[in-house]
Amino acid sequence: MNSLNSDNNLVIVRGLSVSYFQQKKEVPALSEVSFAIPRGSTCALIGPSGCGKSTLLYVLSGLMRPSGGSVMVGGEPPTAPRRSTALILQDYGLLPWKKVAENVGLGLEIRGIKREQRLDRVKRVLQEVGLWELRNRYPSQLSGGQRQRVGIARALAQEPDLLLMDEPFSSLDALTREMLQEQLLQIWKDKRITIIMVTHSIDEAVYLGQQIIVLAGNPGRVLEIVNNPGVGNEGYRDTPEFHQLSTMLRSKLSH
Amino acid sequence: MDQNSYHKYFSTILSIAALLAGWELLALAVNNPALPGPVQSLDTFINEVPRGLWQHFLISTYRVFTSIVLSLVLALPIGMLLGREQHLDRFAAPVIYLVYPIPKIVFLPVLATLLSYGDISKITLITLVVFFQILVPIRDASRNINAALINSVKSLGAVRFDVYKHVVWPAVLPEMLTSLRIASGTAIAILFFSETISSQEGLGYYLLDAWSRFAYDEMFAGIIAMGLLGLVIYFILDYLEHLICPWKFV
Repeated sequence: MNSLNSDNNLVIVRGLSVSYFQQKKEVPALSEVSFAIPRGSTCALIGPSGCGKSTLLYVLSGLMRPSGGSVMVGGEPPTAPRRSTALILQDYGLLPWKKVAENVGLGLEIRGIKREQRLDRVKRVLQEVGLWELRNRYPSQLSGGQRQRVGIARALAQEPDLLLMDEPFSSLDALTREMLQEQLLQIWKDKRITIIMVTHSIDEAVYLGQQIIVLAGNPGRVLEIVNNPGVGNEGYRDTPEFHQLSTMLRSKLSH
Repeated sequence: MDQNSYHKYFSTILSIAALLAGWELLALAVNNPALPGPVQSLDTFINEVPRGLWQHFLISTYRVFTSIVLSLVLALPIGMLLGREQHLDRFAAPVIYLVYPIPKIVFLPVLATLLSYGDISKITLITLVVFFQILVPIRDASRNINAALINSVKSLGAVRFDVYKHVVWPAVLPEMLTSLRIASGTAIAILFFSETISSQEGLGYYLLDAWSRFAYDEMFAGIIAMGLLGLVIYFILDYLEHLICPWKFV
């Protein structure tokens, strides 16, 4: 358990339990979950539906309190939403009544950052994800992939050191998904943001997660933590390691 | 004028023409002085406007508009709050459901006694009705906001005020306009009723007065004026929707 104490870890989760109340009955969602995520690394959380993956993400983002155990993000428990944590939810959480640029600048506006400075940063991140031309569109005028990129741009505008994503690419077609996975890897290589993503897809977990945390339900607990050092290598998807790891995960998840 | 608004004007004119044609046919079929045709009614309408109908129209318009604005100013913040703050709603919901179904018209004698027979009693009565008609849809719209939207905005650091400003307020606007459209019809109906009972002015009084004199063409001039009042409100709400909900029209 030495790794749990290292200063190099941005996220440390120890013996985490979460339960919530449904019709006055306590429903456990996570039980005794422990892991650590080094600064600047990527991690994929994978497991069957209802194993508490999303709950875990909510706790890390500070939107939900743990019932037991401890969670440290950047050395502190994430009680209030932490400034340098960005969360992208499944449907990207874009406000339908705000244009692309307003959605991207929303976090900055809420923090009271001045208009000009805000516009500068919005322009920079929108150019980075290739959507500056679409800045005056409403989300309903965008494709699924474009919406996801707006979600990513909004996260990047906060200049986060931790990016949490809930099934980021699950509703996209295969081609768009691979393109965006590629773009996310590029962002990670450029900025070395710590990325934690929840996914249903074995392929996605192996392609993007340096650590793959396999969860089992119900309540969710850690089944296994798999190291995956090949992430980010050129053409990783076509290597034998990639396929071996995928097969191994598939057999673990099919239990 | 661009192609689109040209089409819009054209269909507006066409639909009004169809209404007038249907009216004419019905009047011909009935062939009774109690149902004058549109030509005669419009003729009387135009003659009556400068001879007092205009004042009645303005007074009724003032009463309806004041009531709607007043209801909105009260119902919008309360509805948004009750939709989001469960502890407040638990307290308010029984009161709402108890008072909502009571036909508020039964309060007219009380209001007239307490508040005089002038504008205030009528405005209060219409407001009592319209307030609930827009409060309930606004509260429900506020309650049914997608939790993911709220969580996303919270994760950006939003405090309660930011959530209301960036999420709740814009989310209830479309529902607010829909409820106002429905409520404007009710408002005019209640207006008519209150003006026939205790009034010397307003379209309701004008109509009842014409009726009592068997002046059916004047009565229909009053009906046309009421229709126009509804149309004005409809156009204003339509314009407002384009102004405050631009994302609905892309």
